[in-house]
Amino acid sequence: MIESLRYIAIGIGATLTITSSAFVIGAILGLPLAALRRSQFMVLRAMARVYVELVRSVPPLVWLFLVFFGLPQAGVSLVPLAAAILTFSLIAAAYMSEIYRGGLAALGRGQWEASSAVGLSPLDTARFILGPQVFRVVGPTMATYGIGLLKDSALASTIGVVEITFRAGAEAQRTGSGLTVFLTAGIFYLLLSLPLALASRRVDSRLRARYSIA
Amino acid sequence: MTVHSENGLTRPMLTAQNVTKTYQQHVAVNDVSLEVSQGEVVSIIGPSGAGKSTFLRCMNFLEVPTSGTVTIGERSITIGPDHKSPSRKEVAALRRGAGMVFQSFNLFPHLTVLRNVSLPQERVLGRSRSEADERSRALLERVGLSQKADAYPSKCSGGQQQRVAIARALALDPPVMLFDEPTSALDPEVGAEVLAVMKELARDGMTMIVVTHEMAFARDVSDRMLVMADGGVLECGDPRVIMKQPTHPRTERFLSAVLDR
Amino acid sequence: MIDDLLGWTEYVPELAGGLGVALKLTAISLLLGYPLGLLLVLITDGSSKLLRGLGLVIVEFGRGIPLLVLLLIVYQGLPQVELTPTAMVSAVVAFTWSAGAYSTEIIRASLAAVPRGQSEAADAAGMSDRERFRFIIFPQAARLAIPPLMNLAVQWFQFSSLAYVITVPEIMQSAYFQGTVTFDYLSVFIAAAFIYAAVTIPTSALVTRLEARLGRHL
Repeated sequence: MIESLRYIAIGIGATLTITSSAFVIGAILGLPLAALRRSQFMVLRAMARVYVELVRSVPPLVWLFLVFFGLPQAGVSLVPLAAAILTFSLIAAAYMSEIYRGGLAALGRGQWEASSAVGLSPLDTARFILGPQVFRVVGPTMATYGIGLLKDSALASTIGVVEITFRAGAEAQRTGSGLTVFLTAGIFYLLLSLPLALASRRVDSRLRARYSIA
Repeated sequence: MTVHSENGLTRPMLTAQNVTKTYQQHVAVNDVSLEVSQGEVVSIIGPSGAGKSTFLRCMNFLEVPTSGTVTIGERSITIGPDHKSPSRKEVAALRRGAGMVFQSFNLFPHLTVLRNVSLPQERVLGRSRSEADERSRALLERVGLSQKADAYPSKCSGGQQQRVAIARALALDPPVMLFDEPTSALDPEVGAEVLAVMKELARDGMTMIVVTHEMAFARDVSDRMLVMADGGVLECGDPRVIMKQPTHPRTERFLSAVLDR
Repeated sequence: MIDDLLGWTEYVPELAGGLGVALKLTAISLLLGYPLGLLLVLITDGSSKLLRGLGLVIVEFGRGIPLLVLLLIVYQGLPQVELTPTAMVSAVVAFTWSAGAYSTEIIRASLAAVPRGQSEAADAAGMSDRERFRFIIFPQAARLAIPPLMNLAVQWFQFSSLAYVITVPEIMQSAYFQGTVTFDYLSVFIAAAFIYAAVTIPTSALVTRLEARLGRHL
């Protein structure tokens, strides 16, 4: 039992690598994507929208397989870990852009109007007024999405990334005690998501107290 | 209908000419003109849905008029079939001429009271942080809120927030101040402290346009009163005269409704 | 050129059978999962401490453990205790478990979102607890709950792709099989993506419209 625990725990590294890389890259790529959704050029708006809709309407497993099994046909061969990070980053960018958009909408028109009435430029408005507020408003939502990413990262086992679920599968084969092994893996995911869950709740209540956001 | 200023000697500080604003089928403001002289206080009153706020928001292009000309000081923008739409820069330049106070305050909740007042000065006027802060503290003192400088807006009452908003607008030294129902979101006794600040501003010679439901303020403080209904002007003139003897039956109905309340 | 670009379309019919299985899996696990969610709300809000603890564990595991791992717990785990469900049954069990857990949260949130004043008004009107729930709280909560529950359905259709891992012959299983035969993985998975999008996009649009309609009187 302890041995199994140790064996599975080795996969934590890869699980966290995929999750945190995709989270950070997605959070960064989501910014320009959200900005494009508000572009004054219809073509750019439409392209950003198609990207987001397309990503969300196809299961992550399909994207993962397209990248890992499909791209080599187009001359791009990636090792499993790279394929997983690329796939989840591209998916995360779409979701993050939606989260930012939601945050902007939650701020309402008042902030925008006030900052343009005092003459702040659009860039200053984004930097000093909307940006800081959006990040505080969307913090909990981003943390929740991070938990989703952590769970999605289990899919990487299907293309051979040696993460928690992959290790658990191997251990189940070896010992024949699938129930204990996979339950253990499941509990690993629960424990790993705990900090994010707590963070999301804490940020949430602190924010509510400070800014009286309903 | 053009409404000229009573006092022909001083130059007009703000002029709105033939301003019209339509949304799809609905005409919110229908060909309204107004000329405001330096130091003049104009109240805009009328039933809700009259187009008062929309007209006011057209003056600093928070709403882009469908047609018409707005002039503040030396800056002028005309919207119409023969004019190309104004650039962001032109709109920003026009807005520099008018400070705006909103019904819902719209303070920046993530900044302290002091930063709310200082940040626009630094970014828009290029003042240094210490210069801006010094000016902000003086203005906060003027609106009676020196002690709240380091508080966040959520720790201020509605009346205090609105006074900060006034300080924020004044900090940019605008020649004209626009007030969009500044006390409508406040309890009467809290609204009074805001009105007191506004009265003082008027006494100091600030040019002000105020959309309001406060009839006492309109009567006592403003030099002129503009009565609007259904996007148009019913009448315009000395507030005491209008309130005593309205010429339009709709004004009379409106006045008796609000004054009986 | 056009042939190259549209080559993937020839695989779409090959995956139709998989689509049927995916829809069946989605439908069954939701038909079981929604009532399970309601049951879990009653249990976790109930008075029995034991049941409450059990309900909480079911909900937290169902939401917190990746669905893929839940599938493996059921399919590869149950044999350890001498149960050997088929792949399809395992998938239904895991999907129902997770769907139940998520609908619990949706139903609970919808009930909580009905303003307190509604309960007070019902009490003031002299309604019994039962009447209050049936005529006042439930209809309002249902309007709030239906759109997210339907979004859950869309999401579950997408999740059905995971059943590939335990050899349920759904879309991805068929696609992967085609890939191993033709080595044209790119086209095969584009065809799969097309099928998922073709079901998801119109359904999501429908939910959005329904949401607007239901929200009209709230």
